[in-house]
Amino acid sequence: MAQDDKAAVRARGHCLCGAIEIEIRGPLRDVVVCHCGQCRRQHGAPPSYTAASWSNVTLHGEKNLKWYQSSPDARRGFCRVCGTSLFWEPMGQGRISIAAGCLVKPTGLRTVRHIFVAEKADFDEITDGLEQLPQSMSAAAASPPPTTTVDA
Amino acid sequence: MSQRKTSGGCLCGAVRYEIEGPLPPPSACHCSQCRRHHGALGVYTLAPADRYKIKGDRNLAWFESSPGIRRGFCRACGSKLFWERIGSGQLDVTVGSIDAPSGLKIGRHIHLEDAGDYYDPPSR
Repeated sequence: MAQDDKAAVRARGHCLCGAIEIEIRGPLRDVVVCHCGQCRRQHGAPPSYTAASWSNVTLHGEKNLKWYQSSPDARRGFCRVCGTSLFWEPMGQGRISIAAGCLVKPTGLRTVRHIFVAEKADFDEITDGLEQLPQSMSAAAASPPPTTTVDA
Repeated sequence: MSQRKTSGGCLCGAVRYEIEGPLPPPSACHCSQCRRHHGALGVYTLAPADRYKIKGDRNLAWFESSPGIRRGFCRACGSKLFWERIGSGQLDVTVGSIDAPSGLKIGRHIHLEDAGDYYDPPSR
């Protein structure tokens, strides 16, 4: 998957057992916490994801990576040996969301917002004062901000 | 404490569980093992010995993450379900896998000294 192994490694990560190692050579998106019901159940709690271009990601031990298609257009990747949650992929877009917890410190990443807050569970507390979106980032981008226009 | 019977399971439904009786307030663990395994904090309540039943346990995989400790996940969908001190009989259960509403509130945050650098951990 990596197109240029000579580029500097921006971040490294691995699963709990070490069967899968990840190298990312390009930019990483800020971290977003997802509060949707699917993520909550699969991770056991609301996950923190960064994201990258697939073309900048190198995997070692990929045979240990198992994919579960959790919706028609997205799949989740985990280590079949230890169960570590590594990836959420919106299929066919060339992008991959990477669980921030698998990355080696220092990550140089910051959490910037919470998404799918409308699905937040009763035990789930948001106390950091960051931006909260009721649904996805694309849904927020698609709906214009409220206006106060009066009838013509 | 939650008093009712609690049910839960993985994302694909291959593993389900039921717990009888009250559950203690969950702990949110910031340790690097939990954050790496879950891609999230490890938020767990506790099912006492002899008060839980697991269905579909042939789909339940265990990984021994440190001596005497193992973590249970669904081998089909990867959902994180359990943390167990082997031989204790009791089972830590991920609160995210509980069918909503859980009726639970996080009681404490632990291992803040090992928190991630990509968020500001709570001060307690």
